[in-house]
Amino acid sequence: MTASPRADVARATGWGLFIASLVLAGIYFGSRRLRDFDAALVPYAGASVFSAFGLGYRYSMWLTKPPTRLFWRRGWRLFFAPSRVAQNLSRLAALFAVNIVAQRFIEKRSPLRWAAHWFIFWGCMLAAAVTFPLSFGWIHFETAGAVQERYQAFVFGLRVFTFDLASPLAPLVFNVLDISAVLVIVGVSLAMWRRGRDRGALAVQQFGADLLPLVMLFAVSITGVFLTVSTHLMRGLHFVFLSQLHAVTVIFTLLYLPFGKFFHIFQRPAQLGVAFYRETGAKGEAAPCARCGEPFASRMHVEDLKQVERELGIRYEAVRVKASAPDSTTAHYQDICPACRRKNLALTQDALWRRGE
Amino acid sequence: MSELAFFIDYSRCIGCQACVHACEECDTHRGRSLIHLETIERRDSVQTAPQVCMHCEDPICAQVCPADAIKQTAEGVVQSSLKPRCIGCSNCVLACPFGVPKYDGDADQMMKCDMCYDRTSTGRRPMCATVCPSGALAFTTIEEIMQTRQGRAVNDWQFGDQHVRTKVFVLVPTEVTRVNVAVIPLSSLRRSQPPPVPYDVAALLEGQ
Amino acid sequence: MAKLPASISDLVAQFGPHLKSEPAGGWTTRGEPDRIVPTHCCFCGQQCGIQLKVKDEKIVGFEPWEEFPFNKGKLCPKGVKRYMQDEHPDRLLTPLIRTEANGFQPIDWDTALDRTAREIQRIQSAYGRDAFAVLTGASLTNEKAYLMGKFARVAVRTANIDYNGRLCMVSAGAASKKILGIDRSANPWSDIPKAKVILVAGANIAECAPITTDYLWQARENGAKLIVIDPRLTPIARTADLFIPVRSGGDIGVFYGMLHVMVQRGWINREFIAAHTTGWGAVEAIVERYTPEYAATVASVPASMIVRAAEMWGPADTSFLLHARGIEHHSKGVENCMAAINLVVATGRIGREGCGYAMITGQGNGQGAREQGQKCDQLPGARDIENPAHREYIAGVWGVDESTIPNTGLSAVPLLEAIHDGRIKGLLLLCFNPAVSLPDGDFVREALGRLEFFTVIDFFMSETARYADLVLPGSLMEEDEGTTTNVEGRVIHHRQVVQPPEGARQDWRIICALAQRLGAGDKFQYQSSRDIFEELRIASKGGVADYAGITWERIDREMGVCWPCPSLDHPGTPRLYEGWEFGHPDGKAHFQPADWRPAAEEPDADYPIVLTTGRVVSQYLSGTQTRRIGALVDQYPQPQCEIHPRLAESLGIVDGDFVRVESRRGAIVVRAQVVRTIRPDTVFIPYHWPLDRSANTCTIRAIDPVSKIPEFKICAVRVSRAPAPSGDIAALETAAGGIR
Repeated sequence: MTASPRADVARATGWGLFIASLVLAGIYFGSRRLRDFDAALVPYAGASVFSAFGLGYRYSMWLTKPPTRLFWRRGWRLFFAPSRVAQNLSRLAALFAVNIVAQRFIEKRSPLRWAAHWFIFWGCMLAAAVTFPLSFGWIHFETAGAVQERYQAFVFGLRVFTFDLASPLAPLVFNVLDISAVLVIVGVSLAMWRRGRDRGALAVQQFGADLLPLVMLFAVSITGVFLTVSTHLMRGLHFVFLSQLHAVTVIFTLLYLPFGKFFHIFQRPAQLGVAFYRETGAKGEAAPCARCGEPFASRMHVEDLKQVERELGIRYEAVRVKASAPDSTTAHYQDICPACRRKNLALTQDALWRRGE
Repeated sequence: MSELAFFIDYSRCIGCQACVHACEECDTHRGRSLIHLETIERRDSVQTAPQVCMHCEDPICAQVCPADAIKQTAEGVVQSSLKPRCIGCSNCVLACPFGVPKYDGDADQMMKCDMCYDRTSTGRRPMCATVCPSGALAFTTIEEIMQTRQGRAVNDWQFGDQHVRTKVFVLVPTEVTRVNVAVIPLSSLRRSQPPPVPYDVAALLEGQ
Repeated sequence: MAKLPASISDLVAQFGPHLKSEPAGGWTTRGEPDRIVPTHCCFCGQQCGIQLKVKDEKIVGFEPWEEFPFNKGKLCPKGVKRYMQDEHPDRLLTPLIRTEANGFQPIDWDTALDRTAREIQRIQSAYGRDAFAVLTGASLTNEKAYLMGKFARVAVRTANIDYNGRLCMVSAGAASKKILGIDRSANPWSDIPKAKVILVAGANIAECAPITTDYLWQARENGAKLIVIDPRLTPIARTADLFIPVRSGGDIGVFYGMLHVMVQRGWINREFIAAHTTGWGAVEAIVERYTPEYAATVASVPASMIVRAAEMWGPADTSFLLHARGIEHHSKGVENCMAAINLVVATGRIGREGCGYAMITGQGNGQGAREQGQKCDQLPGARDIENPAHREYIAGVWGVDESTIPNTGLSAVPLLEAIHDGRIKGLLLLCFNPAVSLPDGDFVREALGRLEFFTVIDFFMSETARYADLVLPGSLMEEDEGTTTNVEGRVIHHRQVVQPPEGARQDWRIICALAQRLGAGDKFQYQSSRDIFEELRIASKGGVADYAGITWERIDREMGVCWPCPSLDHPGTPRLYEGWEFGHPDGKAHFQPADWRPAAEEPDADYPIVLTTGRVVSQYLSGTQTRRIGALVDQYPQPQCEIHPRLAESLGIVDGDFVRVESRRGAIVVRAQVVRTIRPDTVFIPYHWPLDRSANTCTIRAIDPVSKIPEFKICAVRVSRAPAPSGDIAALETAAGGIR
């Protein structure tokens, strides 16, 4: 049932184009047919469109993997089961709070890793919440008519609020990216410190996969902070160069988004789907091991896995069962629990030696 | 001298658990043991089964992973799931032909033996194979193994119609070139004819 | 029941055993250790090399020591986890004095030492010198073992010093000495893989000497046949070429049955026997009666097994015999060992490559600690305390008059009996936990409660220390420097890894401080443990166990030196008896006849089942150390009674049931583990646990007439299903003797 690779690529390209055009349309209409669009931000918007293409493409390709596709379909079907939607929504909210907001599972992996991730995550979220709408022309600020000290904020062309430059809100609004940059820098520093001292991390980390993303986040953040420093403390020294440098770091990061470590941001919600899958499985029928008879997984999971294995060409269907009777039967290896597989391997090897005696 | 490799001889295992405890010392998962040691059926036998990751050439765990979370190093070591990616589905746990991956519910992540990557990547031996007092687990050169052990080291396995080739070798009699895994049911352990040989001391005393 | 200063639950709450499951500083992977110190495992006589990692002056982990030739980095679970006893919450950090009904209260060192010295003097002046006894251990370094022997004879001047090696190596040692002339394994372990047939008698190698397994398996890879004699099908027996499930105490039947067949078929080396041995005639006369059929009734196994064993052992070119407590822990332990060694000597397969025999030492310094003069009948260098020349020499080394050295004192079990009946009133104890490890536990605990004064030196509050008037906090192996002698007779170097924690002291400093207070300070002027070793070298010079040529530098350079090593240019002696030069003055081996006789207590109608005891791989001796390490307790949390399904069925017992195991001495309740790997007439319980879980509550206080070893391996019991135990002790952690 797996489509040919070429068809997969074509479909993924289609999805990429579709997502990219959605973003384009969002920019066009969100900025009131470009009336609110700041031409200076074109590179950012452009990179975002490319990134959207990449994400759409990558996500689609990802879903062509049989196990992913199966979880994807099964997960949504379970989620939208008519009798359970309401219940599922509240469960989703709870899972979202624990896994995405608090990220408790990362804390269990390593408290320091969790702290670093938490700072980076919220710094990035905050920055994303500002920069994308800003560069897409969805929000913009104007002085309120003739009053130079009053600012008005517009979202999709609608005035949302007005504030004084002297009000405490003002520095927050204008420096929100600095705040996010500081969060990210703190997080990156913690992460770097951990990766520089943790013997386990040192052993397995790779520059491209683990350090480069941190470097990129750091570069985006620090060049952003430099812009603020240049504007407010150094009377615009090297401002043009710095803004170009910042743009380069941001654009590079956006283009990297679909293909490197950052793709996990888009994969991670699947964890919620799996939680549903697991909980549904636990309530359903259990699969007993064909060797020891003990239940070891949900029937649904074992059967789904058999299908995935078929699609992947993993041929576990007919493993011989040794029996004293000459007409020995076979078993599906997927019906053997992991503990029995381990025991069986040792028994098999031990028996080979005994036959030699 | 050729490169160092991992060899298992299950029949040597004495079930002492030195490997299980030493595994906790590995820096990539310190405080958490990832090796398996099964007592096969204590009522009938003292036989035990150690299981490290066999590091398949084309790992089934990675094939069934929906999140692309299981990666191989350049040396062919199959690593624990990538923390950012693993979504805790346990496909790998259920599909691995050797029963290796472990799902850690707290961390919502699959972790597995990575051949002590902290050690082997810097020229040291894995913890389990260094301490193993029976030599059931060994990390050495193929030449050394051919000199000191009977039989041959193979890394080809057959599970039904599924062929698997592994980085880790198993020691088998010379005439065996591929381990054809058949399911040995519990009931056959209780019977007295080989395999396995009678473990019942009462039967031995009666000269059976 | 004997007196304790507080309830057991209260004592356990305060002093443990508590479990330590994480290293000092937690399971962190941050940063590198400050240093890595190569030393040795403190558990068991294999004395495997291991490197300990130190960070901020705490031991935080280990690294295998692959360069050390004996174990090449290999370790058992005890070795892997040994570092967990550092920074342990139960560690004693101040001298403690017993306060009635109130447990123990801290006191300062001077008061504690003064009081101990005063009480020694009081008891000795009131009841005589020998009314104060010293008990020590075989887990001590050679330096400490030497010091304890000297301390007892020179400072306390009591005859009554003995050690817990009395529960361990004495049968093997005595037999070896009688036949071959030297109390030591005859061969280095490197000879094992070169043997074509290996006989393992009464040794659960996989659990009690795990790293020897690789040597056995290596021999088999080289084509050796393996014969295992044991009432239980142990992990090494599982794949053995021949497993003989002997009835406990029936070993002589197997050995002499084999020898009978070998004589019949001409598989004995008569030329060798004529030229290099004495006493064969008497053995041959006995062996003649041991036809396979008769031998089979003694051993309680099929005669065919004995014949097959003879067919494997008899005609082999090279062979190796290994034995351990299974044949030694008997009231005929020495005779069992002699029968086994006769089997070796009759073939002449000894004293050359791949040919020989070894006894597997059980305790950390099981070999060395019995050579330095802390046995009741020995002086340093494995010298005889009754031999005038030996006494004279040692008196010279010690700078005392020969007449002041006491004669043979009581061995451990009679010493406890003397305490029980009031002949001994005071005791100083170091490195020994008789409340768990001696047979007839209730009797032992009662005896400990009768002491007028009792000082214990230990790093943890052992079950025995609970009976003490004073407890002095001593040191762990890694907190002191010294040597031990491993199973091969290889003298090795334990380096100091960290300092003892504030409040605890190195054992030898405590002993020297006591000697000072007893007026013998001038004989104990050591500045370091190395000073003690230098004196030990002189004291052992010319003795059987001659360390004169061994220095710490040589040990480090040569990865250990095997005694005898009489001079600095002597290479040491890994293999004894080369050129068939035996240890007796006549240079010959002396065959020793011994006929089989029954155990002190054979099963009968009232107590119809044989109880045998032993170890599990995750625990060491009385468990004072290993019952405090979380992972080791998790591995095997509480003793189980192994019972064959056939016997279990006849008693209505299923796996996991609580069973009451009762002997004429006492009863315990443990869980049943129903297994087909044990004889149906025998049950097995490991002995590492205290109190209501102590197998030694059931064992018998019978000893071998020569070695004085207790008969741990056979007594008569009855077994029945029992309700789950309840009460305060049952509610304790399993490590502390509870059951869950």
